[in-house]
Amino acid sequence: MSKLSITIDGRTFVVEAPPLRRMTSAITVRVDGQTVNVLAPDMGSPELLDWLIVDGRPYELVVDPNLRWMRSRFGLHQIEVRDLEATVARPASGDGRIKAPIPGLITRVLVSPGEAVELGQPLLVLEAMKMENEIRAPRSGRVAQIHVAPGQSVTLGVVVAEVE
Amino acid sequence: MFRTILVANRGEIAVRIIRTCRDMGIRTVALYDDSDLSSLHVRLADESVRLSSGALYHDAAALVQIARDCGADAIHPGYGFLAEHAEFARACEEAGIVFIGPSSTALEKVCDKIATLEAVRAVGIAVPRHSSRAYHASEWDALRDAAERHGYPLMLKSYSGGRSQGMHLVREPTQLESMAQHAHSAALTAFGDDRLYLEEAFLPARYLEVQIVGDRHGNLVHLGERDGTIQHNHRKMVEESPAPYLTDAQRKELWRQALAIGRLLGCAGACTVEFVLDAQGRFFFTEVKARIQVEHPITEMRTGIDLVRTQIQVAAGEPLGFSQDDVTLRGCAIQVRVNAEDPWNHYLPSPGRLRRFRFPGGPGLRVDTYAYSGCDVPVRYDPLLAKVVAWDDTRAGALGRLRRAVADFAISGVQTNLSLIQRILNDPEFAAGTYDSEFAQRPLPGVEVPPEHLRNLAIAAALAYIRRGIDSSGVLPDRAGSGWHRDSRKLPQ
Repeated sequence: MSKLSITIDGRTFVVEAPPLRRMTSAITVRVDGQTVNVLAPDMGSPELLDWLIVDGRPYELVVDPNLRWMRSRFGLHQIEVRDLEATVARPASGDGRIKAPIPGLITRVLVSPGEAVELGQPLLVLEAMKMENEIRAPRSGRVAQIHVAPGQSVTLGVVVAEVE
Repeated sequence: MFRTILVANRGEIAVRIIRTCRDMGIRTVALYDDSDLSSLHVRLADESVRLSSGALYHDAAALVQIARDCGADAIHPGYGFLAEHAEFARACEEAGIVFIGPSSTALEKVCDKIATLEAVRAVGIAVPRHSSRAYHASEWDALRDAAERHGYPLMLKSYSGGRSQGMHLVREPTQLESMAQHAHSAALTAFGDDRLYLEEAFLPARYLEVQIVGDRHGNLVHLGERDGTIQHNHRKMVEESPAPYLTDAQRKELWRQALAIGRLLGCAGACTVEFVLDAQGRFFFTEVKARIQVEHPITEMRTGIDLVRTQIQVAAGEPLGFSQDDVTLRGCAIQVRVNAEDPWNHYLPSPGRLRRFRFPGGPGLRVDTYAYSGCDVPVRYDPLLAKVVAWDDTRAGALGRLRRAVADFAISGVQTNLSLIQRILNDPEFAAGTYDSEFAQRPLPGVEVPPEHLRNLAIAAALAYIRRGIDSSGVLPDRAGSGWHRDSRKLPQ
């Protein structure tokens, strides 16, 4: 399950969703504690997300590759996606890959490859929207790789570090 | 009638012209360059000729040669490029090829905008105060002095070329120098002529035009007026017919003046007579466009007349085939221009490959475009991707159809101004039909999404994010600098 904080046109929802498959699939997501059925259509196309049916209602979408906006029949929506599991310590079953929770600028790298880290230990600092965000270790272990350097811009969801 | 017509244009207007030619059983020759090979006009023509390296759509000599080589007996120039180019019209005449438009001498006359203003004023029709000549970029001192004498606000207008891109409002003297520099270079880029002239600006104003059609047998009729007041980034975005704010008396007077001007200037084929309406409801004639206009479909929707067919018939020497009494102006039509650009980020052009392009349909709706899924939007040309036109008996009905059509237009792969159009169409002042040229200065209403839809769209965003993790992020185009900004909820300038 992924746990995401989605802010759309100024309103924030916490969405928990299972992994997606490429084929058409009916899935169940949880939004602010409510259960919602979603039909996610075939993902054979190279698009991010073309359309889907949420709670019986179809939506056609054009989604910004950087996930900063999305167009629906209502118009353009400003969105902000935060991967709550990227900043919060993950359970030990996580794969140890750490993704940028929001697009921004890496300002500091606090650890080096090979270094032993504790669960929740700050690894990197990502500056976005005038705020510094600490990216913490999802588990205890050893830093396998750091994929970024200070001064580097990252887009949402890019793998910035790995802990094994 | 002509056997073969060379369509000396590209994009949606080339497609538009080819369709009518094929309806009439006339063979068509299309042109393309390497960047717009995938455009629809190249596929629909009977013959498609590649512009050899260096030659462009506005290369008059190359086009006449192509027309000769492919056996064309007429050339349709569309709009822009060579549509109002007297030397090109003359070159066609000399080569024995019919230019579908005015004669080279008539074109010279209407393209001399200052002489036209003076000729029209001489017959008692009001024109705006204007400079007595046009100025090159090198004549800054003379332009500044003329502006000083003229007074503010004023309009800097390109001597060649159109109303929207060729028109710059200068509200106060401090803006003049930078606006003039910009306008000179914009005019040079767009129309190949950097000359500017000054015209009285009316604030607020409304921009009106009357479609007239005439033949070479003395017939001249009008097909009603169009409003083109709503402009953004110096381009018309929304056009409609009839102009919703006119009284019947004003409308009749406008038509009468347009026909008088058309007769005075000897207009044949399809011409547009442009006016500006001031806050007191007075009209001033500004210029004549002796070509098909981008917004011609709204007139076609109301009259049922195919203006391109009329142009071709008149150019072939045929009479109009209808009189003023035969023309019925039915209902209301509204057109929007869908551009490949980002209105929320300085109107940055957005070329690229269309991943998805599905346009709306339904009763009373028309879409003119060169695009389809998989087609490339070229970097080199203007960003007009499609025109969406809605018609109905009432303005409210047409607006409802257009709002629905714009919401359903599915385009991905490039950025578009669809979301800006939606907000204009939802604006109460637009809905009331009371807007004027200050419309663009005011903020537009925000998007109001019912809460359950907002929740569902949040789920969609979450799944888009998760799905993004499935695909390698490397394959996604990184369109840096594109998109919606936190601080750009106000209307773009």
